Amino acid sequence: MSNTAAAAPSTNTGKSSSWWLIAPGAIWMALFLVAPILLIVYVSFWTQTTFKIEPTLTFKSWQTFFGSDTYINSLWTTLRIWLIVLVTTFVIGYPTALFVGLFVKNKTLSTVLLVICVIPFWTSFLIRVLAWRPMLGKEGAINIILMKLGIIQQPIEALLFTELSVVIGMTQIYVVFMVGPIAFMLGRIDPNIIEAARDLGADFWRIFRKIIFPLSLPGVVVGGIFVSVMVLGEFATAAALSGRKVNLLGNIIVTQVGSLKWAMASVVGVILTVVMGLVIAGFLRIVDLKREL
Amino acid sequence: MADENAVFRLDGVTRSYGNVTALRNVSLAVAGNEYVSLLGPSGSGKSTLLRVIAGFEPPNQGRVYFQGRDITNIPSFERGIGFVFQNFALFPHLSVFDNVAFGLANGAQPVAKAEIDERVRHVIDLVGLSGLEDRGVNQISGGQKQRVALARTLVMAPKLVLLDEPLGALDANLRHRMRVELRAIREKLGVTFLHVTGSETEALAMGDRVVVLDRGSIAQFAPPADVYDHPATPNVAHFLNRYNMFDGSLKDGQFAGPFGSIPITRVTPADRTTYAIRYDRIRVMPKGQGAAGPAIDAKFVASEYLGSSVMYFFETADRKVVEVEHHLSLGAPETYAPMQHYDLCWKAEDALVFGQG
Amino acid sequence: MESRVLKPILAVYTLLFILFLYGPFFVLAILSFQQGPEGGPQFPIIEWSTYWYRHIFGLTPPSRVAPLPLGGALFRSLTLAFMTMVTSTVLGVMSAQAFRRRFRGSGVVFYLIVLGMMVPGVLTGLGMSLLANNILGIERHWWSTAFVTHVVYTFPFAFLVMLAILNRFDSSVEEAAWSLGVSPWRTFRKVTFPLIFPGVLSAMLFAFTLSYDEFSRTLFASGRDQTLPLAIYGTFSVEIHPNVFAFGVLTTVFSFALLAVYAILMTMSVQRAKKMALQEEIA
Repeated sequence: MSNTAAAAPSTNTGKSSSWWLIAPGAIWMALFLVAPILLIVYVSFWTQTTFKIEPTLTFKSWQTFFGSDTYINSLWTTLRIWLIVLVTTFVIGYPTALFVGLFVKNKTLSTVLLVICVIPFWTSFLIRVLAWRPMLGKEGAINIILMKLGIIQQPIEALLFTELSVVIGMTQIYVVFMVGPIAFMLGRIDPNIIEAARDLGADFWRIFRKIIFPLSLPGVVVGGIFVSVMVLGEFATAAALSGRKVNLLGNIIVTQVGSLKWAMASVVGVILTVVMGLVIAGFLRIVDLKREL
Repeated sequence: MADENAVFRLDGVTRSYGNVTALRNVSLAVAGNEYVSLLGPSGSGKSTLLRVIAGFEPPNQGRVYFQGRDITNIPSFERGIGFVFQNFALFPHLSVFDNVAFGLANGAQPVAKAEIDERVRHVIDLVGLSGLEDRGVNQISGGQKQRVALARTLVMAPKLVLLDEPLGALDANLRHRMRVELRAIREKLGVTFLHVTGSETEALAMGDRVVVLDRGSIAQFAPPADVYDHPATPNVAHFLNRYNMFDGSLKDGQFAGPFGSIPITRVTPADRTTYAIRYDRIRVMPKGQGAAGPAIDAKFVASEYLGSSVMYFFETADRKVVEVEHHLSLGAPETYAPMQHYDLCWKAEDALVFGQG
Repeated sequence: MESRVLKPILAVYTLLFILFLYGPFFVLAILSFQQGPEGGPQFPIIEWSTYWYRHIFGLTPPSRVAPLPLGGALFRSLTLAFMTMVTSTVLGVMSAQAFRRRFRGSGVVFYLIVLGMMVPGVLTGLGMSLLANNILGIERHWWSTAFVTHVVYTFPFAFLVMLAILNRFDSSVEEAAWSLGVSPWRTFRKVTFPLIFPGVLSAMLFAFTLSYDEFSRTLFASGRDQTLPLAIYGTFSVEIHPNVFAFGVLTTVFSFALLAVYAILMTMSVQRAKKMALQEEIA
């Protein structure tokens, strides 16, 4: 095959055809993604009265946010939960990804396993969140099973309506987004490399540290970005499982919009955007994704 | 070559990617009804040349003419130039018949179904694929796929067909048979074939004329015999794989090389000084029995039986390998003692000298 | 070697992991058979019954439990998902096709598109309602503002899928078609598209799934008429009943059926694309 086939073919009609192909998509994103986000920044500086909002610029909403303990706490809570869920999904998901991506040789079997992991997604997200309530409650499934097995005498109350329940719920729902990309990267590792390392006398932990883990890193980064995006923007799981005790930035935006406090919602929106930007930039520092693609 | 007879012409075509120049100021005119081989090592730009003529890539400079028309800015699908790919590029989701009929069925001018049917069957017959029309393209052999690719192009009745290493994916036996068939088909249709290959034997066997490409420029454009007997540059001699080449220096009408100093009558201007003598022009003589004329001392290493000839490998004092070819039609092969020294002699007028001066 | 010990350990771990994933679903399924209408969405099961399944279809006598506002919401969800699927797949195919050639600003455009999947729904939803409400002064509807935001979310997925497919696509068949005098558009229709169809199907399925269950974006951008997830969210703060669980089971079973259809379609079109790979191998 001629190696010029890898360079895109040209019908000699010039670059103009690229433009009309890419224009609709680019314009759509510019209008309906970029513009709204820029708008959030803009509106965060608007003046908000109890009844209406107007475009006069002011720092008032920003001052309210940083002056209020509740709001600052929600920022810390969001960051805390994000970090915990990120670590838990990684710790819980990695061994599974290792098994499916590296140890399962049969391609069909690994596809089947991945499909099995994806199936739960076909139950509506909200319903799956709700299903945790009867699992974690005082008379919930987990307590019933643990008591039946004699592991505990009294039902554990801290399972539901606490920060822990939110973490458990989020981990379970988002862990698959860690497993997928990592399993994919692990599946691409040439088994000959591992074979060669073994022949040279390396034991498994050494191989893992020096070969397997570094090669899986792009998958970890992609999974980390996916999980982070979803957790930072979360509010439903917290609403359903914490009984209003856990207030994430997402929850604040929802309630503020609910009472038409657009300026405040926008302030929180900007803060969330900044946090997201920093997180993603941080992840992309670890691995240069464009090279891997 | 008169322009009116040229079926296509390239005028100062340059094509580069970034800082790699694939074609350097190439000018070429080829007549109608001619079989032209395009020979060159990988990286010489031969595939690029084909793609520029076909319109898959635009030249950075220069113009391309087809049947007198300037087609430089015309897209490939409007040029009417056929192209046969090395990997065949058959449409995997269509049958043999539909593959061949594709151009007629989907071109700018609608063609009546009856006419498509007739033309397709005619050309399938021409390439020897009758009976396979309804097969899927992954149910036929490599040689048959080659013919489908050819038929698909020929049914469009182009005046020029470009073939990009068409025989490269076939095994040796098939390749030899296809060489004969390609020439026969071309003659029957009376169109021009421009056939790219990296194999010098193929290029010499198939072309009425041979274009030799060297690093993006045309080194020679001549009938095969001329190229074989009188390569225009040291590199062409090198591509032919039939010449022993010695480095040396030219001074006062003498060439000084590893075999001593020899008076030279004719020098072909070139970018470096080389002395070339063809494999089959050398005679092997026991030491001391050489006739007058240039000779070099070398020890015999090995021989290779090639069917119609035998190749002998000798090594000179400075560890250079010299090959001697003996055509068996000229007589029975000699046996030489390994590691024994012999004198390799040739006639001075058989040698080609390149250099400045 | 260690893998003799490690592999079974990891296998058991993966099994536990899968149980962890499915835990809520099992609970949900069990509880959907709770007695109604007094039974609540918690253990213990008072009595096994199919009451809630009948409740969903309106086959039970009226009780104090309001039926899920299904009819309209379901219709809107399906229509919205369908519209999103078509639009984002078309955009995805066009954009991926454009990326086969290097063009100025391609790096920027790439990130612009991928940005759509990196911004959480709360933000795009918020931004869209600001745009609609405070700037343009238009009303929010599921078929306008929500639709547009859904596409922003699903288009990058469709784009990446098509990009991966087209990257592996050998363009010599297209060049062959051009050399035969077939126009680029016709070549796309008759050669390229049939061969990339499995990828297009994947992109479509992806987009549909994402949109159908999409909730946070719709929450802000929908206006008065609700889609299905919104209807369910509405029940969050009020008391929840096992009818929600019955509904969950039904939709999962439905999704299984859809997957079966998809798998069949996929297998059929993958056969065609496999021929191409085979062809190259033999050649």
